[in-house]
Amino acid sequence: MRDPRLAKLAELLVNYSNEVKPGDWSLIMGELVTLPLLRELYRAVLEAGGYPEIVLSDPESGLLRVQLGNDEQLNWVSPLQEMALDKADVLFRVLGTDNTRRLSSADPSKLSTMRAAARPMFENYIKRASTGDLRWVIARFPTEANAQEAEMSLMEYEDFVFQACMVDEEDPVAAWRQVQADQDKIVAWLEGKKKLVAKGPHLDLQMSIADRPFINCRGDDNMPDGEVFTSPVEGSVEGWIRFSYPSLEGGRKVEGAELIIKEGQVVEAKADKGEDYLLSQLDTDEGARRIGEFAIGTNYGIQRATGDALFDEKIGGSVHMAIGHGVPEAGGTNTSSIHWDMVTDMRDGGQIWVDDELLYENGKFAIL
Amino acid sequence: MRDPRLSRHADLLVGYCTAVQPGDYVVIFGNHVVRPLAREVYRAALAAGGNPEVLLLDRYLDEVKLKYGDEAQLDWASPTLAMVMDKADVLINIRGETNPSQFANTDSARQARAHAADRPAIERYFKRIAAGELRWTITRYPTQAGAQTAEMSLYEYEDFVFGGCLLDEPDPQAAWLDLRRRQQRIVDWLAGKSMVVVKGDGVDLSLSIEGRKFINSDGRTNMPSGEVFTSPVEDSLNGRIRFSYPSYQAGRIIDGIELTFKDGRVVEASADRGGEFLKSQLDIDEGARIIAEFAIGTNYAISRVTGDTLFDEKVGGSIHLALGQGFPQAGGTNKSILHWDMVTDMRNDSRITVDGELLYENGKFVI
Repeated sequence: MRDPRLAKLAELLVNYSNEVKPGDWSLIMGELVTLPLLRELYRAVLEAGGYPEIVLSDPESGLLRVQLGNDEQLNWVSPLQEMALDKADVLFRVLGTDNTRRLSSADPSKLSTMRAAARPMFENYIKRASTGDLRWVIARFPTEANAQEAEMSLMEYEDFVFQACMVDEEDPVAAWRQVQADQDKIVAWLEGKKKLVAKGPHLDLQMSIADRPFINCRGDDNMPDGEVFTSPVEGSVEGWIRFSYPSLEGGRKVEGAELIIKEGQVVEAKADKGEDYLLSQLDTDEGARRIGEFAIGTNYGIQRATGDALFDEKIGGSVHMAIGHGVPEAGGTNTSSIHWDMVTDMRDGGQIWVDDELLYENGKFAIL
Repeated sequence: MRDPRLSRHADLLVGYCTAVQPGDYVVIFGNHVVRPLAREVYRAALAAGGNPEVLLLDRYLDEVKLKYGDEAQLDWASPTLAMVMDKADVLINIRGETNPSQFANTDSARQARAHAADRPAIERYFKRIAAGELRWTITRYPTQAGAQTAEMSLYEYEDFVFGGCLLDEPDPQAAWLDLRRRQQRIVDWLAGKSMVVVKGDGVDLSLSIEGRKFINSDGRTNMPSGEVFTSPVEDSLNGRIRFSYPSYQAGRIIDGIELTFKDGRVVEASADRGGEFLKSQLDIDEGARIIAEFAIGTNYAISRVTGDTLFDEKVGGSIHLALGQGFPQAGGTNKSILHWDMVTDMRNDSRITVDGELLYENGKFVI
């Protein structure tokens, strides 16, 4: 029997996250291994009156380009993707792979070249998303490879993914509307505030959030979701952070990453594992060393890190920071072809003070 | 171990069939089940300096749309397909299914309607091919479902497919060049001729090829190939034909097709199996009943039909006719969304005469 949670997830993504309307050209993108969810999405989009189309990617072919491509080939951008991101009304990006470590021996500088080449396309996508021309959502289909990465069985991992998305609830849409209401209170409290200080065993940071709105992430762009974030004033971030959770970016594991930030710029970086990769990513382009985002995770249905930013950054009781591209809706102005989220635990003594008032302590909001 | 014939197949598609040049946008197109060959083609296209992209299809979704889509959704034309047809320098279409019966029970009128929506993209495709802006080829990857249709084991079917593509030859490209030379003699002989008469088991046809060109199908646009074909003068075909081989179209088997032509137009059509589908296809648009092609198969490495026109129409010792879209490069003028090839055996008691001279007898050329 098909897992009924899959159809519920598809309906949530189509009718709540992306609110597909009759006539919407809806692109559904993912690797072949995610096909069961892609098919449910296709059906749900059709039922909503949209025009669904899937784009199946084959990561083994993509890797061949990294390995064998000459400069010109590495700098090539797919006209198909370019057109799709420029024209689609709705985008579903389904994560999930059959091998999380496929890119382990791929040359990071070539990956950076490819990412830099895709930057105009990526910027157009961000722009269309910020003006509401494009509704998009990123979700995950649980695969064996991702379960392995999370150090779980597939069955356990399916429960983990579906619980975090609240599709095991009777009415997932109502559950997400409740998240939205709770987070609205936090966002409203933060409005008009200026100085944010975050400290604890893993960090000691200060930054200006003057005129930078916090955004309520309620499951419209990410599924699962549950965070409030902003792009801090670019030159204002100062201090130190050590990310307690490992990051798996571009198929590379980076553990124990530590950054020293002066005037909003990463001036020193190291890591216990994957340091070379971290450093190469910081040199991707000019904006890659600047801070694009500061955020607080609020999804208490996610209690552990699995090496997947989509989930890890939502962990109830964590904060995260992203280097690279800023978020225009939050007033961010930094541009880069990377946007790399790194997450740290706040449950063991972390505090957040805003204009000298305590907002958050030991992973919980003090104001709620 | 990977089958070494796969990379030879890919090299042939990229080097011989489509001659990929540095900078070419190369779109590799097929059901997701053809991935092993798609990857080899991707590799070969990269090595040739091209920019390959793999477009994988899932037929399950087409079925969902045909069953549940409303009219606007059926009439919707994919912008992706339109863009590919408009922008690609090279299109490599790899056939291969997970289940050829997938569409056996879908409503044929809805199917025809969905096909019609893609017509502008298909027309653009033909136009760019005619203008030399798009190089293309169609081939096949052997899958279990393909083997099942052919009534073979996968192992046997792989041998059949790769054998048909002449990949067992020490130098496959040289083998195709040799076939091209042999076919050129036939094409040269036919140049300037007018009246063709075909007689055989269930066949009695006459048609004019006056002012029309025979094309040497040398394996570049079809892999495998091995045929010479033309678009006959549209209103010249008269007579009747019963096709000895079954035809597979849009996931259905249509067997025992019988057509009667008057002045190039099908006036009577029947089939032992799939007759209703045959009739619905003939009504898909105005051009669907009109003769589009007359051709002679010359690939003697293919000696039996397996349910794929790409191979069946090349059977050494067969001829085929197509209805629908004609070939401008052969002088054809007919237009349709349909191009349906139907094949019949000529190895027994059959002959083709041209302007009163014998060209072909019992499956072999006599010239």
